[in-house]
Amino acid sequence: MQNKNEIALEKQGAVVILKIQGDITSFSEPFLNQAYKNANDQGTQKILLDLEEGAYINSGGIAVLIQILAQTKKNNQQISITGLSDHFKKIFNMVGITKFADIHNDVPGAIAAMSK
Amino acid sequence: MSENHADRTVEIILTNQIGYERIAMACSASFAEMFGFPKDRIEDLKTIVAEASINAMQHGNKGRRDAKVTVSMIHRDDTIRVWVTDQGNGIKNRPPSPDIEKIIESDEALSGFGLFLIEQLADQVEYKENAEKGHVVEIALKMKA
Repeated sequence: MQNKNEIALEKQGAVVILKIQGDITSFSEPFLNQAYKNANDQGTQKILLDLEEGAYINSGGIAVLIQILAQTKKNNQQISITGLSDHFKKIFNMVGITKFADIHNDVPGAIAAMSK
Repeated sequence: MSENHADRTVEIILTNQIGYERIAMACSASFAEMFGFPKDRIEDLKTIVAEASINAMQHGNKGRRDAKVTVSMIHRDDTIRVWVTDQGNGIKNRPPSPDIEKIIESDEALSGFGLFLIEQLADQVEYKENAEKGHVVEIALKMKA
């Protein structure tokens, strides 16, 4: 029952968007790490994780996302997240992810905020 | 569980494999919908059931493929009670609540998120040993937070 993620990279101005299809669980680790590496290869300092609406996110997936946040912190990169339901916005706030990543309702809003 | 409420009871037996928790999630959502729980509480219940089932599979049953996880639910007085039972020995040392700042600043181990979420979202959580069945997590979720 291992899920896999399809992750497309797209650049809008200075922001690299990782469009992540699929659920976010511990099985997402290699896919997200590879996508983050690919984003870094483009020399970006601004990364937007665009999650699939309605995707299942569990504690294993939250741990994987936190590992990515830790890497962006070390690399002095700005990171934002879109595509979260109200429930997962609440969860991300509870866990503390919102201290290290801005949450936006949609990609245009995130790009506008990150381009300031 | 009271026999008087047998008509408001669901029990699911899960294979001890990550992914099967989604079956319990879907079932818990249907069960809560039957009693008119609002969408936000159904989402809370789904996360609680998923995380308790994952903990039971990984930490209780230690990934044993021959083990089972049982998820039982009952509705009474605007509250859903959930029992998640594994065939392990319980949690000897519960992990502390995760501190994301320490994790990010100092590479502290990533653990304890599942229990943390359960305890944050539920109205009541108890950890029990059952001599016949194994280790049980009992969770109560009210219709309104």
